[in-house]
Amino acid sequence: MRHIERQKIFLLGAAILMVLISLAGCKTQHRFVDKTAFKGSHDIVLTFAAPVDADWARDASNYRVCEKPDPDIRLDIAGIHLSADRRIVDLHFQEALNQGQPHVVTLHNIMSEGKSLGDETVNVKKLYLGFLFSILIGAMLIHNFVFTKYLGLCVFFGTSQKKTTAVGMGITFTLVIVASAMMSWALYQFVLKPYHLNFLQIIVFIGLVSLSVQAVDTVLRKINPALFKAFGVYLVLVIANCIILAVPLILADNEYNAWESLMLALGAGLGFLIALFLMSSVRERLELANVPPTYRGLPIAFVVAGLFALAFLGFSGMSIF
Amino acid sequence: MDIELIKVALGGLALLVCIGLFFGIGLALAAHKFAVQANPKVEAVLEVLAGAQ
Repeated sequence: MRHIERQKIFLLGAAILMVLISLAGCKTQHRFVDKTAFKGSHDIVLTFAAPVDADWARDASNYRVCEKPDPDIRLDIAGIHLSADRRIVDLHFQEALNQGQPHVVTLHNIMSEGKSLGDETVNVKKLYLGFLFSILIGAMLIHNFVFTKYLGLCVFFGTSQKKTTAVGMGITFTLVIVASAMMSWALYQFVLKPYHLNFLQIIVFIGLVSLSVQAVDTVLRKINPALFKAFGVYLVLVIANCIILAVPLILADNEYNAWESLMLALGAGLGFLIALFLMSSVRERLELANVPPTYRGLPIAFVVAGLFALAFLGFSGMSIF
Repeated sequence: MDIELIKVALGGLALLVCIGLFFGIGLALAAHKFAVQANPKVEAVLEVLAGAQ
């Protein structure tokens, strides 16, 4: 009975922590730029925290706008409209914006109340559930980490011999990757980025991964010994998986906010689970098949993985919404 | 040497030390709080038994 109570408190604590992080995560941009958004098909709207100088705001050379994947192609601004309270700037473009891609707006030497606030770079993204869903499906199927990026292969081949171990590993991995990715995201946004310590990304992220694995190991051993036994050796194996390091690096690179990071981590974990399940189903059948002696074991597994990768290639280039 | 670079390097060092201390102490406390008593006899018996698997 006490075990169950303690477990509930633990879960509740974790949920509250997640919600707090997510709420804080809605504002990760520069402190002076409150909000950025697309408006209609041709406009980007920037909302500032305080009134900006009209001369600065109306000068088109102070803005540099491009799509995130093509930083060399500068988009032409056709007109600039400043609101009466001088806090909202509406940039009108000659051509319709491709809103499926995040846009990067660089503001040169922001002037407010006669004072310079320096340069700033902000991202403009479509922020609604569809975008989050497309990140989830993208990480899960379209850019599946195992079959299109070839990451995490060692654990993938090691634990895909039996369906039960494959599913156990997949679930453990999903839990750990979500926890460690959220921690990495918070540390990156609130410590590494503000203090210009981006070059320490890899070391810090590796530390966080091993920390979360060790913490789950310690806590689970006491709280739920049955589940701990079911996870067995896979919990420690998670550290040896490179997907778990790739996800924090990707979300730091793309400046994802908390919800987007959560979706990417969840998609990566579920994608790995799907890959493991598919592979283990085939390998269980292969045990019964008449495979030439040279190909028995790992070689035929690699051939099968290649075929799966070909099949997953069918998703490439797909975009949702 | 550029003083700014030295500052950044020292900041990085301080960050790593802080993270190490914070999470190290956290893990130590967790290990203490969630300690599991293992019976040494279990391992002794397992060692004596024939371990085919």
